[in-house]
Amino acid sequence: MSDTTLTGFTARLPKFVRRDPAVATAFACIVLLLLVGSLYSPSFLKVDYLLQQLKVASFLGVIATGMMLVVLLGQIDLSVPWSVAVGAMMACAAAAYGPLGSALAVPFGILCGVLIGLVNGIGVAYLRIPSMIITLATNAVAQGLMVVYTGGFSPQDSATPAMRWLATGFAIPGIPNSVLIWALIGTGTVFLLTRTRFGRSVYGIGNRERAAYLSGIDTRRIVLIAFAICGGLAACGGVLLAGYASKAAQSMGDAYLLPAIAAVVLGGTSILGGRGSYLGTIAGVILITLLQSILSVMQMPEAGRQIIYGIVIVAMLLLYGRSPASR
Amino acid sequence: MSVQTFFRMEGISKRYGGVRALENASLDVSAGRIHAILGENGAGKSTLIKVMAGVVAPDEGRMTLDGKEISFGSPAAANDAGIVCVFQELSLIPDLSVADNIAISNPPTRFGMIDRAAQRRIAEEALRRAGAEDVHPLALVKDLPLSRRQMVEIAKALARKPRILILDEATSALTASDVAKVFAVLKRLRSEGLALLYISHRMNEIAELADDCSVFRNGRHVATYAAGSKTDNEVVELMIGREYSSVFPPKPVRTDSAAPPLLECRHLTWTDRLNDISMTIRAGEVVGLGGLDGQGQRELLLAFFGVLRGLKGEILVEGKPMSISSPAAARDGRIGMALIPEDRKTEGLMLPMTVRENLSFASLDHLSRGGVIDRKLEERKIEEMVRLLAIKTAGLDIPVGSLSGGNQQKVVIAKWLMRGPRIILLNDPTRGIDVGTKQEIYQLLRKLSDAGAAILFYSTDYDELIGCCDRVLVLYDGAVKRELVGDEINEHALIASALNIGDGQSVSAMEAAHG
Repeated sequence: MSDTTLTGFTARLPKFVRRDPAVATAFACIVLLLLVGSLYSPSFLKVDYLLQQLKVASFLGVIATGMMLVVLLGQIDLSVPWSVAVGAMMACAAAAYGPLGSALAVPFGILCGVLIGLVNGIGVAYLRIPSMIITLATNAVAQGLMVVYTGGFSPQDSATPAMRWLATGFAIPGIPNSVLIWALIGTGTVFLLTRTRFGRSVYGIGNRERAAYLSGIDTRRIVLIAFAICGGLAACGGVLLAGYASKAAQSMGDAYLLPAIAAVVLGGTSILGGRGSYLGTIAGVILITLLQSILSVMQMPEAGRQIIYGIVIVAMLLLYGRSPASR
Repeated sequence: MSVQTFFRMEGISKRYGGVRALENASLDVSAGRIHAILGENGAGKSTLIKVMAGVVAPDEGRMTLDGKEISFGSPAAANDAGIVCVFQELSLIPDLSVADNIAISNPPTRFGMIDRAAQRRIAEEALRRAGAEDVHPLALVKDLPLSRRQMVEIAKALARKPRILILDEATSALTASDVAKVFAVLKRLRSEGLALLYISHRMNEIAELADDCSVFRNGRHVATYAAGSKTDNEVVELMIGREYSSVFPPKPVRTDSAAPPLLECRHLTWTDRLNDISMTIRAGEVVGLGGLDGQGQRELLLAFFGVLRGLKGEILVEGKPMSISSPAAARDGRIGMALIPEDRKTEGLMLPMTVRENLSFASLDHLSRGGVIDRKLEERKIEEMVRLLAIKTAGLDIPVGSLSGGNQQKVVIAKWLMRGPRIILLNDPTRGIDVGTKQEIYQLLRKLSDAGAAILFYSTDYDELIGCCDRVLVLYDGAVKRELVGDEINEHALIASALNIGDGQSVSAMEAAHG
């Protein structure tokens, strides 16, 4: 059954809106949130505030990018919290080893995340373990390793100047570096998803792995690479967060698992895989960040914030409706 | 006929987007008769049934039951009015028992809980009416073979006490002896006063079963006639709207060449499904695989394509031994193999993805440089394929799932032809598609083989094997039982060797069972 009935109104909307109503809904919700916020305080529409929000969003944005790749495959990565923490802590740890360590801190942190992703990928693609189980397990192992490393205390190492610059500096006046990094990673991802063999294969596997395999796609390699990228991006988010806070912390990634998945799904990416655009993920990330910010500005107590946060996510998913069943 | 008409559809129209699925269609249904509905894929048969069964609402038109105008808001409403449908795709839940499945929409309850004893009685009664007493009501559906499941499906429909029973390609998964059983059941139901609507692409089934026939074409009702009043050729002309000349292209005269065969296998063995199979295919040859369903034909194709793990034996391409470890290796330039899989919906296509993405999916390595897709080249190749196969689509950027079955199958074939394969394996490529498209596929196969491709072709339709193939290998229990060449390929020999019996006695009995 087709849902492509073009009535006069929808036909006049831009192309991406027609193709992907979820993305349009997410952007509409962003505008709505800003308007509601501005009723409470006019500063919500100020450029400073918006840039600050974009900066906060960029950490989630980098992490959600990796999550999106994995979700597009019809999988999920629950090892994000400790991939973030491992990235941050290992980058800071490298900084303790003199100038060479400082120079390699960022790549080393990201590499550790890639390794976690590779373990996940091998488990899912080659050993056929459900991603929900294997990523949960690697998350626990990563947590254990970090506890052994720090002895259970907050790590003493601090972020390198380069990490701080990446997270808080301004290479272009007015635009925080972390936003630039997100933009760069985002552009790369859009290119990867729309223009490359890898991207097509990801969508193909997400839609019907069997058909992709029988078309001669090396499905296992694609899954492995996607998990590795996801781990690397989570660690990259951790490195940026460590730079932002000047140091790593034990549970710094915990606050990013649900928002990352929620951002991807709110952006219209099907949790079952195969469908979704990066534009939607951007919208989802901004939406979640704004929601969190506005709730905290309104000085809502933590419990109330969590409740509203959850309700809003459910409500918006209902708004999108369920996708029409394909034949 | 009009005396007993109790259900009537008039002026029914339905559009999907810009596509007209039904246009001013009408249908009269009478009690105690079997009414066959014929038409190519995309002719509107499925939509007509969905309207009747309350699955989709028509844009225009009216339906009357016992003279009263009705409309159905849901399939449940249609069920309550006595219209029940057995769909082509099975709707059973594998992990539930037969009885649970039969009573699933309306289980008998006592104190709010399912009354298992009553449920079992209902299931037994329904199975008996469907002529499937051999199925145990407490067996799990997943443990039943496909043909039994189909019988359970029919029993499930009967348990809803229908006045009109619709069967949409309900026999396509059945073996010949099961088809005979189902026919007996259907005829009994007719004598009990049920109205039956029967949809099938198999002409011989319709000839045996139907009282009335209605032909649809392009969403319109073309003709209704009493069964047997038209010849097969006339019916096919009605269906495709043009002269129906010879279905199969002529076979060229074979000359034996000294070149090594393009594809050869020696002593292929895999678990208990393949048993020491050796065969060869030369360039320019169409070799058929025959035999009863499930005798190892599918496994043989998958073995060539590198899908099976733990395969023993040798595969040679142009006389050189090859190790083919995956479809990726099989499609590789040195081997150049393509497999048109059995089930286009789950193995051939990504239904929600666009026609464009599906067409180029198997050739991305040819269409990209350094992993980046060359979009101009992709566009050109796709246009070439759409033209070559005359794929009818409203655009390249619509989901491939919105095409008709025949056009979907063309996309599956096109996506492999784009690679220019030398060896083409086909797994029942014409199942469930219309006559016109079938004919185009036969001609395409012959064209490809003339151009030097080696084609291995499995079909469940004996006529196809007879009409298309230069040689036919008949498989039985995972082994090649017989090789038929040229004029030896006829229905008699095919059936005899498929059943693994001598050429003589008892074949005619089997032929009768086959239909």
